[in-house]
Parts: sequence; structure tokens; C-alpha cells
Amino acid sequence: MPVRTVNRGLTVTTAAIAAAAWLAAWSSQHPAGAAEPERAAAVSPTFFAERVRPLLERRCFECHGEDAAEGGLRLDSHAGLATGGKAGPVIRPANADESLLVQAVRRLDESLAMPPEQPLDKDEIAILVEWIAAGAPHPDGPIPVVAATEGRADRGRDFWSLKAPVRPEVPRVSAAHGGDTVQPIDAFILAALESRGLEPTAVADKPTLIRRATFTLTGLPPTPDEIDAFLADRSPDAFAKVVDRLLASPHYGEHWARHWLDIVRYADSNGLDENIAHGNAWRYRDWCIRAINDDVPFDRFLREQICGDLLASDHTDESRRADLLVATGFLSLGPKAIAEGDQTKLVMDIIDEQIDTTGRAFLGLSLGCARCHDHKFDPISQADYYALAGIFKSTKTMESLKRLAKWHENVIATAAEQERFKAHEARIATGKKEIDAFLADTRRQLAATAVAGQASGDGTIAAAADAAKQPADLPEEKFPEEAKSKLASLRDAQKKLESDLPALAAAMGVAEGDPEETRIHVRGSHLMLGQVVPRGVPAVLQLGGPLVVPAKGSGRRELADWLVDPRHPLTARVLVNRLWRWHFGRGIVRSTDNFGLTGEQPTNQPLLDWLAVRLVESGWSLKAMHRQILLSQTWQRSSDAATSPTAAACLQADVDNMLWWRADVRRLEAESIRDAMLAVGGRLDRTMGGSLLHVANRAFIFDHTSKDETRYETGRRSIYLPVIRNHISDALWLFDCTDGAVGSGDRPTSTVASQALYLLNGDFVINTAETIATGLVAAAPHDTETRTLLLFRRLFGRRPTATEVDLVRRSLDTLTAELDAGTDATARDIAVWTAVCQAVLVGNEFVMLR
Amino acid sequence: MWNQRASRRQVLEQSAVGFGWLAASALLGSSTAGAAAGPPSGFRLPARARRVIFMFMKGGPSHIDTFDPKPKLAADDGKELPFAKPRVQFAETGKLLASPWKFRPYGQSGIQVSELFPHVARHVDDICFLHSVHGTNAAHGGAVLKLHTGSDTFIRPGMGAWINYGLGTENDNLPGFITICPTLAHGGVNNWGAGFLPPEFQGVPLGVASSPSKEARVKYIANPRWSQAVQRTQIDLLEGLSAGGPAHDPLVEARIKSFELAFRMQTEMPTVQDLSGETKQTLALYGLDDPVTENFGRQCLMARRFAEAGVRFIQVTHSDAKVQWDQHSDLLTGHTEKAAEVDKPIAGLLTDLKDRGLLDDTLVLWGGEFGRTPVAQGKNGRDHNPEGFTMWMAGGGVKGGYRHGSTDDYGYYAVENKMHIHDVHATLLHLLGIDHLKLTYRQAGRDFRLTDVAGRVHTAVLA
Repeated sequence: MPVRTVNRGLTVTTAAIAAAAWLAAWSSQHPAGAAEPERAAAVSPTFFAERVRPLLERRCFECHGEDAAEGGLRLDSHAGLATGGKAGPVIRPANADESLLVQAVRRLDESLAMPPEQPLDKDEIAILVEWIAAGAPHPDGPIPVVAATEGRADRGRDFWSLKAPVRPEVPRVSAAHGGDTVQPIDAFILAALESRGLEPTAVADKPTLIRRATFTLTGLPPTPDEIDAFLADRSPDAFAKVVDRLLASPHYGEHWARHWLDIVRYADSNGLDENIAHGNAWRYRDWCIRAINDDVPFDRFLREQICGDLLASDHTDESRRADLLVATGFLSLGPKAIAEGDQTKLVMDIIDEQIDTTGRAFLGLSLGCARCHDHKFDPISQADYYALAGIFKSTKTMESLKRLAKWHENVIATAAEQERFKAHEARIATGKKEIDAFLADTRRQLAATAVAGQASGDGTIAAAADAAKQPADLPEEKFPEEAKSKLASLRDAQKKLESDLPALAAAMGVAEGDPEETRIHVRGSHLMLGQVVPRGVPAVLQLGGPLVVPAKGSGRRELADWLVDPRHPLTARVLVNRLWRWHFGRGIVRSTDNFGLTGEQPTNQPLLDWLAVRLVESGWSLKAMHRQILLSQTWQRSSDAATSPTAAACLQADVDNMLWWRADVRRLEAESIRDAMLAVGGRLDRTMGGSLLHVANRAFIFDHTSKDETRYETGRRSIYLPVIRNHISDALWLFDCTDGAVGSGDRPTSTVASQALYLLNGDFVINTAETIATGLVAAAPHDTETRTLLLFRRLFGRRPTATEVDLVRRSLDTLTAELDAGTDATARDIAVWTAVCQAVLVGNEFVMLR
Repeated sequence: MWNQRASRRQVLEQSAVGFGWLAASALLGSSTAGAAAGPPSGFRLPARARRVIFMFMKGGPSHIDTFDPKPKLAADDGKELPFAKPRVQFAETGKLLASPWKFRPYGQSGIQVSELFPHVARHVDDICFLHSVHGTNAAHGGAVLKLHTGSDTFIRPGMGAWINYGLGTENDNLPGFITICPTLAHGGVNNWGAGFLPPEFQGVPLGVASSPSKEARVKYIANPRWSQAVQRTQIDLLEGLSAGGPAHDPLVEARIKSFELAFRMQTEMPTVQDLSGETKQTLALYGLDDPVTENFGRQCLMARRFAEAGVRFIQVTHSDAKVQWDQHSDLLTGHTEKAAEVDKPIAGLLTDLKDRGLLDDTLVLWGGEFGRTPVAQGKNGRDHNPEGFTMWMAGGGVKGGYRHGSTDDYGYYAVENKMHIHDVHATLLHLLGIDHLKLTYRQAGRDFRLTDVAGRVHTAVLA
């Protein structure tokens, strides 16, 4: 049975339509007094917020809230109310008697009497009954009706994320909010706010906007000159020009490629059981940066990562062909148990990692869960899993499975380079032959001389006499000096020739293997095999029939085509949600990597679907999406609640800002904190690309000695620092940067004391502060106010207030008394200012985006 | 504090943003840590132990040469193994090799210990030997990961991180999980990392295995340039500047708290590490007066001090820049040397914990990533053996003077009361008052736990 919305007038695809649109439609089609017979009178739109939620909070959240989810049930979120717990859905909209929630509070059955201790009183039960009878209207969208008898797979088939998005109508907003002139993103957001009587905050001021845009697009702070230029530009498209400038900057690709590297669990070392170097992984990273800077359409970007090797033959350009091979590094970058003695297990573990990463990255599904059994929540069967496994089993990821196992690398050298390589190898072989010939000649000559010597009775070459018997064994030390030195020079030349052999450029990646179908692995064990499963994609996601995999290929090309099929319900949605997450700090679906049944519901599905449809229609251009988002008022909102005319109501109704009535205050990502410090310290090296790894490909980064040879001192942008799994640079690790253990599109932002210790005591931070201080002292001798002004301009892009100047002045007095910094006046001045600059640098404004 | 139910707001009001506390994002809901903040309720059981000291013997000490005597192995020296070797082996091995060490009974229990551990042997009546541990992996990397995280296939949180997540720290100025001189090889940080758990639950390393424990420090705990007074002024300035900011935000508050806590920790951590207040007898007890035992003895003594200070999970690693307990050849020399380095310090720690009344609620766990084969590798070495080996526990609610499970006559396979590594974890959590089935963390739509989908509490070892 399909999931139906309570309002049958709406299509099924709008199952989780935003409350605003829903309520509007609801009231237009169900004027008061005209409710359907089985439904009680409609309740007011705020009934849930005012009556139901406080009741649930008081009586139920303790066990079914954020601290606990007894029976898998949470009543504190829309998702929880909609999906229910282990016993199934608890609410049947418009049918209070059949709702488990009502049955439980009425205590009809001893095994399901809630709350366990103190029963609800009559009035409390009546509130719940009234609400459910009215269709259980919820501010975040309707509660779907799910028949209790439905099987998991069937229920999944109708789950919102597994049905293709249909372009929703853009809602009309009031004239006060711009009427028809607002762009669609704002219309969706404003409509939701209008329906609740909430007003968004004002658009942020220009210094805030340029700082936010520059960090969001390039991961770097704006320079004072860039800020000045923007402030001076009074034209209406001044901000659009800034956005275009930033999107054209090569630093844009560096910043957004880093986002993508999170998804694909990028790393420069293996880092599972044995930590050896992925010496060629950087080529994949650099490819991502180029592709994103070039705005390669995402469908192409995706296809190349899944099956670039199969597309290479379509191209004659060598660098293009190399790029296609490099792109397949996506499938090979995962951590592998390379010392695993059980080779069959190793193969299946690698395939599992590939399935899991592919599913998470593009589909937002945890396909790995179906390795041992049918997925517990999502409609993915074990057969679905092994259908995908067959595709990867037919793909060559590994060169050798013998301990330590070696991953495959594709040669990407140009034909000319390969020619040169072969020629060089030939020269080495020739050189070796020459040496051998020289040795044989010398020995032969010595033998001949020895024979002659004996015959003539000449004893001076008696030492070589043995040579007459066994010329080949004559030790080289018995050669004449002249021959010895000739031999040494031949060998030196040979050694140089060998060491000059250029490495043939290669990249981690995959190739076609022997096509084969896999068997279901009972309980995930390669020792208990079940039935054969033909290669394919999950049944619930088939687009017009099973995937047709040709007998000769692995099926990766078909897999890639399926992923980017415009009918696919997930790929575009998952991507636009990721973009939203990276712009706003959280997704429209908050669980960016989980669009399955245990994931979060979209807070504004029409918006999500509109963006997804738009992405495909605009040719999968990321830059077009960025423009769409950045030029929206929604993106440009101030984070200051006070700028909303209904600030109090907004905070009351939506303190978590689920409706995006303002911008969130956010901490910068780890890379941006480090890069921004390098930038304001004047130490940023803007060189792009290349490898900074300190060891050769496949060499141990850590072995049993536990010696740490990693070095992260460089002025290069953070994306170029080697990602040594489980040992990335402290500057990044402490601030939640991922080391690529597992792909993730939703980095947490932690605030822990170890970060503060690093900022207070780390050499990098203190040295940065000192560089800034030295500059200030030189620029403005004896002038605290000017120095403070310069410092604030450089770090925050604004002027200090009088209070702030005063604070700095008082700190300087205290520090001057405390610091024992020698007698040199300038040195003392710099030391005191270093302490001040450090405090300003590590404080809140520099690392936060407002 | 985890035991008390607290609303998000209460947590915010009461907490410092410490090592043992929630990520500010999770705390405040102001950011993005998608998953639930704390552990689900209902996982607590009555606890016998409050903290763990795990003494990790890297490389794989031989159980049949230390705590699991095999008379039949001595009798059949040089003969063929009369049954099949495992399907997956690390290296090629030959015939049965008798232990070069003699065993004799100790204590009231009469449990036999080899000549390698004469000091630990005096504590057998307090020790619960787990002779049937199995299920790690035949290679170091996989086995070390399996022992620490329960998985040799994926990167998962370490057991210390799980326990820290479940129970938190008892001292808000110190981390809940400290690992002293850990090894960077074979999984390295993964072994004490937080995996998908929030990062504040990860182990905080003190030094590394390649450096002497004397030099072990928490990174960035000391300032290279400023006095405490200067730092105080700096923090006052940054707080003052924040107060004037345009918008009040919980994330801002959390950051300020984190600076205050860091400032306090700078004092607290060196105080706990400072051994100058320990008596000469105590130092001697741990072997700090002897160059052979000094390094590991210092680790053990620091472990006691961290235990007293309220750290939940303390790991000490016996490792170095060489091959550690990994005697593929010359078992006699290697094991003699390794055992001499740890025997006295371990015994010293057990004595000291007992004297201070700490052994009752401190669970001491000892072991390596696997044992070694009863068959010879080369002339006089032993290969890795994850099929059956010995770990032991002491204190914290386990039966002393007790041998749990057994291996076969030669010590190759666990046979009786087999204890998978998941079972060791389940039992360890049980002793700490944690139901291993219920301490879960939701990630990518699934509730994960330390014991994955396995693990059984071996109630026979409970006192």
C-alpha cells in the first residue's frame, strides 16, 4: 500500500511537504465545517506546538526523547512521530482509536500501558485524541499513514527519498516579502515562515557578507583591499560580482574539493592494519580540484570516478585519458587490511568498503548493512548487496593479495614518456651487457697472458695464473689496476643510469577484472556461500527494469549510468543536500549521508526537490547552484536574531533555526582556521598541487619502531598536507578534520579543551602571532590605536570599537608588567604585541562566521 | 554524571566543556553532529569496577611459556603436531617446541607460573587467568585492532573510547581515557581513537612507544613562551573581546569555557605526572631504581596516579622501537629480556593498588594481541597464535586465584569455555556496570556497539 498524505488532494511525492504549503492547501480545500466524515474538526495550526508538544515533553520525552529512545521510539521529532518505533508506526492520522499512541495511553493492553508509572489523565488523553483525529498536523509536515501490515520493502518503495523528485510549484509569498520577484529558494523559505507569522532577519551587512562568502567559497579570509572594493561598489550587482570573482578563483576548487574528499574518505596512507603510503593518491586530489574549478558537470564527475578507465578509450588527448584513470582512485582510496592472511576475506572486505562508500557518497544509503543480512531498516536485501558486489568483484582493485597486499595502479605516463622509459630501460640493459662483456674480456686476456707467461717463465703475472684454469672465477681484486679503474667507472655510469630511470607515472585506480557473479554470503561469511546473484542494482531503485550488465564487462559503466540517470530518486537530491550542508552548516536532510528510513526527514522537501530538479536541468553545474544559493536572501541573512521584527517569536518557535529564518553562527572548518592564520600572518604559500609526502609510494609511514617522521611544517594550504590516516596534522585533527577512515558529509564541530591547549601553546599559533606583531610594530611605531586598527582590519575586516581599543590598551599595560622580555625596546614591544595578537587570533571572532 | 538524566539545557548550564564532555555542537544543538549526543539510557548495570588499567604487551607474549603450562608439550618436544594447523597461518611452522622455562605453583590457589614472571606469580591469588581467549587475527595489525576495537575490518572506536563514552571521566580537568606510550604501528591511533564517536572520547596519548616514558607528555600541555600570568591576561582579553561581540551564541560560550578548562589542565596534568612526592619504597616497588624496569615501571606508577585522579581508562603499552614480544626466532633471549622489563613493575602496581584499597574497584587487564604457537618457527622461535592464548584480569570484581577456560594439550586452540575477544570486551564492560548490548552509538542509520553483533559475558569469572 502506498503511503498517503492525510490530504488526499496532494500527490504522493509531497508526503513530507513543508507545513506552510501543506497548511495553506489544507485550509483552502477543507474550509471549516467541511471536514471529511471520519475526521474530527480541524485543529488550529498551532495546536501541536501549544497543546501536544508540551504534553509529550512533560510526560513522554524522558524515555522517548533525546536522552533515551525506549523501544526505538522518539516522540520529540517529526521523524520519530512519523516512523514510530520497533512496534511500528504509533500514529495513524485521522484514526485515533487505531493509533498505538492512544492505545498505549488508554492502557488497553497491559503490555503496552504508557507512561509506565503515572497514567495520563482524561484531559491529557483527550488532547492527543483530538490532535490525531484532526489528522495529526505537525509543523514539519504531515504524519504519513502507513498500514500496519505493510512489509518493509513495500513500505520502503514508497518512502519519500526513493521516489523521483517532481518539480514542486514555487509558492507565492506576500507582497511585503517581494511577491513574485523573490527567487525560488527564498519563496520556499519565506512561505514556511509566513505561515507561522515569522519574519526572517535582515540581510547581513556588507563586511559580514564578503567575509562569509569568501570563506564559504574559497576557505580563505577576504583581504582588506577586497573588502574596501566591495564596500565602495554601490552597484546593485556588487555582491554578484564578488560571487563571480570568488567562483573564478582557483582557491574555490581547493576549498570545495576538500569537501568532496571528506565524502570519498581520501587519504595519503592506508592506515588500517599497516600504515603505508598511498604515494599516488595526490593525483586524485589534484584531479578533484581541477574538475571543480572547471565546473565539470557532476554527472560526468561521478561517472569518471566509477568507470573513468572505461571511458578513456573515447579520448585521444593524453592528459584527458590520464585524468580518467586517476578519477577511478575513488574506488581504491579506502583503508584495507593489507596484512590479512585470508585472501578471500580480504577481497570481500575491500568490495564491502567500495559498496559502502559508493552507497553513502552518491545515494545516501548504508548499503554495507546488507552484507550479512537484509537491511534492518532500508529496503535493501542481501541479494541486492551481492548484486552490487558482483560488479566490484568483476573489477580489478588489487594487484596482489599476498601479504602485504598491493593495490592496483594504472600507468598514466604519456606515450612519449613510456617510450623514453623503455629506451632508458634498454640503455640499462645494454650497460649491463657491456660490463659483463668487459669482465669476460678481461678475464680471457688475463688467462691468455698467464698461459703465455708460464710458457715464457715470466713470474710477474703469476697472481693471475689461476685464471688459466677457471677464467670466470678470477676475483676482480686480482685485475690489473687499469682494468679495475675502468670497471669502476663503467659501474658508476651504470649506477647513475639506473638511478636516473624516471618513475613511470601511475595512479591508484581500478581496471576491468574477470566478469563473475557472486554468491550470497550467509551471515556475511565467505565460508558459507548461498545462491548466485546476477550483477545489478538494488531492486527498490531499479529504473524501468533490472540493470543490464553485458557479459564482457564488470558492469561499472552501467552502474555509473544508472547513478546519473535523471530518473534516479537519490543522486541529485543527495548532492544538492550536501551543497546546502556546506553552505549552511546543516542539510535540508540533516543526516546528509543517510536518506534511508533511519535518516532524518527533509525539513523542507519541496525546496530540496526543487533544487534537485534544478540541478539536473541546469546540466549538473555546481557553480550555477552556488550562484543560486549565494544570491538568495536566505543565504545572506544576518545571524543576529534582533534584526528580525519577530525575534522573540522566532526564538520561541524555532530556536534551532530549522526554518532558516536567520544565518547560524558557525565555527570555521579546521582547514580554514589554519589557512586563514597563514593568510593573515602573510605566510600562505599559494602554490597548487603536487605531493608533500615524505616517503615513497607503498613505504611504511609507521612501522613497529613507532618512530614519527611525519612533518607538517609548510605554508601550503591545508588540502595539500598529507592525510596520514590516524595521524593527520594536529592543526587539522583537533578541529574535527577527517582522516578518511570513513566517508562523511557532515563533519561535527566539537569544542574541547585540547583545541584551546593547541591555540594557547602551539608554536604555529604563537609564531603566526609574532609575525603579525612584528608587522604592526614596524607599521605604527608607538601608536596603540593605529596598531589595534590595523590588527582588527587584517583579522576581522572591520574597525575596532572604542571599548575594544581600550581593552587592548589595558591588556598591554598588564602584559608589559608581566613579560620578562629583555631590555631591547623593540623586542619587548614585539613580545607584548605577540601576546595580544595571539589572544585576538585565537578568540571567537576570527574562527567564527557570523 | 552520565547516570543522572539531564536535559540539554541542564547539561549546558552545569558542564564545563571538558575532555569528558559532549561536543559543544551536540551539547547545544547549534551545529551539526548529526547523531544523538550521549549514550542511550538503560545500559547501566551494577558496577564492580570503576576504572580500567590495561597493560598491553605488544607483539604477542607466549602463553605456553608464561601462564599456561603444557606438560604434554614438554613430553612431545620435537614431534609432529598430532592435529591440523589453522586454515590461515602467519608463517610456516615446524614441529612441537617445548618451553625452555620451568613452571611451579604459587599461592593458596597453587596456580602455576613460569620462571619468566616470579614477581607477578606472587599475586596469582588475586588474578583471574583467561586461558581460552581467541579470535583476534594472525597478523599484528589486524590482531591489535581486533583486541582494541573489536574489528580488524573497519576503523572503529577503541574500547577505552567506548567506556569513556559510556561512563565519562570522574575528573573534569582530566581526560577520561589516557594511553601512556602507545605504539604508532599496527593500527596506531585507531587503537585509541574515537572512531565515529564524538572526538572528546578518544584516548589522550602521553608520549609514544619509541620514546622513554620519562619524556611522555600530553602535547601542547605547556607553553613554550608565556608565563601563566601572561596567559591569564590573554584569556581575559579574548573573553573581553567576545563579550562585546554582536550576537550572543552558545558556541561562543562553549569556546570560552574550553579556554578556562585548558588553563586549569595545564596545572593539573603535570601535577598528576609529577612523581617527586612518591616515597623511595614506592619507586623501588615499581622498579624505578633499576634501569631494566625503570621505563615500564614509570608507566605503571603514572597509571596508578591517573587512576587515583579519576581517569576512567588508562592504558600502558609495553613496546619499544624493536620487535617487542614478537619472537619468531630466539624465544629464549627475547622473552627473557621482555619479561624482565615488566614483571616487577606489574607486580608493583598490583601491590600498590591493593595497599591503597584501589584494587577493589580497579580492573587490571593484561595481555597481548595473540599468543604464540606451540610449534617452532625456524629453530627456536614461535609464530603468532590467535587461536588460543592467555590474558588475565585482576581486581575490579573478578575471581582471584582462578583459571577460566583452557587450551588443548599443547596450547594451540582454545577448547574449554572459549572466550572470543568479543567476550572479553563484553565481560570487561559488564564488570564496569555496562550492558554491552545496550551501550550503542547510532551512525549511518545503525546502532553500533563495541561487541558488534557478538559477545557473551563470562559470568564464571565474576567474584
